[in-house]
Amino acid sequence: MPRGLRLEARGIRHAYRDLTVLDGIDLAAEPGQVLVLIGPSGCGKSTLLSILGGMLRPSAGVVLQSGEVAAGCLNPLTYVFQDFALLPWRTVAGNVALALEGAGLPRAARASRVQEMLALTGLSAFAGAWPRQLSGGMRQRVGIARALAVRPACLLMDEPLSALDAQTRDVLADEFAALIARAGTTTVYVTHNLREAVRLGHRIAVLSRRPGRVREIVAIDRPLSGRNMADPDLLRIEAALWALMRDDAAAAAREVSDASA
Amino acid sequence: MDTNNKTPPLLAGRGWGEGASAPDPTRRAILALPLAALAATHARAAEPIRLGLLHTLSPAPFYIAQERGYFAAEGVDVTFRFFQAAQPIAAAAVAGDIDVGVTALTGGFFNLAETGALKVIGGALHEERGYEGSAILVSNAAFAAGVTAPAKLAGRSFAITQYGSSFHYMVGRIAQAEGFDPASVHLRVVQTVPNMVAAVQSGQVDATIAIASMARPLAASGQGHIVGWVGDIVPYQITAVFTTPAMIDKRADALRRFARAYARGVADYRAAFLRLDAAGKPIVDATTDAAIPLLTKYVFTGDPAARAKILGGVGYYDAGGALDAKDVAAQLDWFRKQGLVKGDLPASAIIDTGFLPVR
Amino acid sequence: MPPPDGSGAERPVPFRGGGFAPHARPLLGAATLVVLVALWQAGAMAGLIPRLFLPAPAAVAAALYNLALSGQLWLQMSASLARLAGGWSLGTLAGLLVGLAAGLFTLARSPSLSVVAALFPIPKIALVPLFIIWFGIGEGSKIATIALGVFFPTVIATVGAVDGVPRNLIRMGQSFGLSRAAIVAKIVLPGALPGILTGFRVTAAIAIILLVAAEMIGAERGIGAFVLAAGNLYDTPALLAGIVVLSVLGLLVSWLIGRLERWLLAWR
Repeated sequence: MPRGLRLEARGIRHAYRDLTVLDGIDLAAEPGQVLVLIGPSGCGKSTLLSILGGMLRPSAGVVLQSGEVAAGCLNPLTYVFQDFALLPWRTVAGNVALALEGAGLPRAARASRVQEMLALTGLSAFAGAWPRQLSGGMRQRVGIARALAVRPACLLMDEPLSALDAQTRDVLADEFAALIARAGTTTVYVTHNLREAVRLGHRIAVLSRRPGRVREIVAIDRPLSGRNMADPDLLRIEAALWALMRDDAAAAAREVSDASA
Repeated sequence: MDTNNKTPPLLAGRGWGEGASAPDPTRRAILALPLAALAATHARAAEPIRLGLLHTLSPAPFYIAQERGYFAAEGVDVTFRFFQAAQPIAAAAVAGDIDVGVTALTGGFFNLAETGALKVIGGALHEERGYEGSAILVSNAAFAAGVTAPAKLAGRSFAITQYGSSFHYMVGRIAQAEGFDPASVHLRVVQTVPNMVAAVQSGQVDATIAIASMARPLAASGQGHIVGWVGDIVPYQITAVFTTPAMIDKRADALRRFARAYARGVADYRAAFLRLDAAGKPIVDATTDAAIPLLTKYVFTGDPAARAKILGGVGYYDAGGALDAKDVAAQLDWFRKQGLVKGDLPASAIIDTGFLPVR
Repeated sequence: MPPPDGSGAERPVPFRGGGFAPHARPLLGAATLVVLVALWQAGAMAGLIPRLFLPAPAAVAAALYNLALSGQLWLQMSASLARLAGGWSLGTLAGLLVGLAAGLFTLARSPSLSVVAALFPIPKIALVPLFIIWFGIGEGSKIATIALGVFFPTVIATVGAVDGVPRNLIRMGQSFGLSRAAIVAKIVLPGALPGILTGFRVTAAIAIILLVAAEMIGAERGIGAFVLAAGNLYDTPALLAGIVVLSVLGLLVSWLIGRLERWLLAWR
């Protein structure tokens, strides 16, 4: 059993006024593993992620954390956002340093931590650049560097690649896989992209159409670092996932305007 | 936002009494003309004349001339154009909105006149010895600190409406007459007459000049002290009748008839309000009472205290609407020395004495 | 669809794009001003514009030159600049504090916004006599006039700017465990800065406009008092010279804020 944080949702129900988006979610992110949440649009996966990280109070149910948090962790539950959420008035290095400030780290330690994260994400040459000068892929690299800089016990990634083009998405998915595998951090990864799910998930929870429930959990017993997307096994899992989701996705697409209300 | 040029309703009222200096009766024949002869002249179509004036008591002789039909008798149809402040009257004449105006002689007036756009043709209000017109009003604090006479104003703060206003001129001339350096007085520009009085009342400045009708109640209620009267120190022409050179060139005849009617109004006014008894007190009799209703058509209309306000506020006019031409020249000279008037026309170029007598 | 002539012949596609994209041409702007002033001067010299109606630019320039030469310009300017700096700083500081409070705290929001809505439209010039009673005829009432004029727009700009800070950035700060103070200092304030600086442009202009009103009462010196006195004396060259000074002051302040923006908002 790898060391790290375990995050468990118990009986989570959530409604926006009289619109129930999540109904009876029981789900756990196991230590050191990547749990992917997948489902048609409007199924409440992002809502669930907000609840898991303590950013949204569920209508009912509770989220429990267990397991040890490594010394030096500055923010156990750390998000990576779909829209990057970089501070435009801070440079790349400044954004990565944001959560390190006021954490009691000596200045030199902080600087070297930032350097280390920038090197890890291939951003060293852009330390002084403004976010507006970067492409979307580069911006999300800053987002992951900022998240890893706090040595999180659990990464909460909210469709981190969906604002990017397909090629950048593939490249970054590989990079994420390497970074997550290296850090061994418990991760909850929300996506609607099956390819990403298969590339990054140890377990894939398929949510049903609204109100979201866990329909099925698919486990992929293969280390992240060795996965090849041409692997027939992975392709088969992707096809199976699609079969699970297809009807729901089609139905969701028809009521999409309703869901966004 | 026209507060910034609300120069003095300084003409709102004046002291009263009978004249000290009688004009030379032979100076202008028109004064001696029998009234009957004048009344006969209106066979022609009436000449329209637009007269710009302040809506205060100060142009009282014009109200009388209008109400008693003296303008009509001369064959001029005078329309009153009332203004809230003195300065815009001169500007209105330049702009061609009025034909004749009566207004304060200020730096602004002289600057307009110096461009050749205005000509002074007659006198109106005059500060006069023995007539309590403008008071020197001192705050309680300053009075307690020893400012008990005009000569003690040296080094004190003094509220005026604006640089180049009549008040500015009066302060300068008082300093001259009392023998102290005008530059030692700290002038406080406060734009309006109510502001000047309020500044003294609240002790924000040491002194100002206020007309009798405002100064007396203040002094009586212990909110200030009157330490002198401007007319006793520097008798001078406060307001004057003026027109444009174009009027003089093209409509001299109408102007002449206007002037004759004005002189009759002044004569009635003097008879009603400016006679003094042996003790120097103003005489109030049937002539006075006959004139008051003519004025209440224009000022203090419907005010139960109108009579008292008029008697307490009337100011001195020279006989025949005479102009103190020497004083106008002196004023122009003073304003020019202060750097407040820029042009270099001589006083004679901005005065035309062909219509009304000279004092 | 066949072409109008029905021939079906090969022909160029008509161009329908372009336009709606005016460019800035600073030189053209400057040249326009120069030509206007030259026309004005020529009109005055030809006698088409009487000096009483509008003094020639040369006369205005001469008045300005004399003002500078006699040291008057500096005397008047220094008095006005002190009032502007004092009044603007005071109004801005108070406006920022109230605006931030209204932007951040529910308890402060409605009370302060309702007071601002009630008092902002009052012409501050009308309050000058009241200020004289409260703060005296000296510098107090002048600084208060400018400060009050600056205060309300600053509150409005600051509240708007704080409201405009993207909520996702604030949520991000919370998700990284930043304290409330750190979120205000590192996210809300820098995020609101562009809106606040835009507010500065407006309030600086308001301060200059109110300078004339502030110097109406009891000012021995000051460019506003000078303009009023010149107007009262119908000294039109001096009046226009004063207005030129005010206008240059406005341009200068605008330029300074532009520099400040380029420095503080380099990230945009």
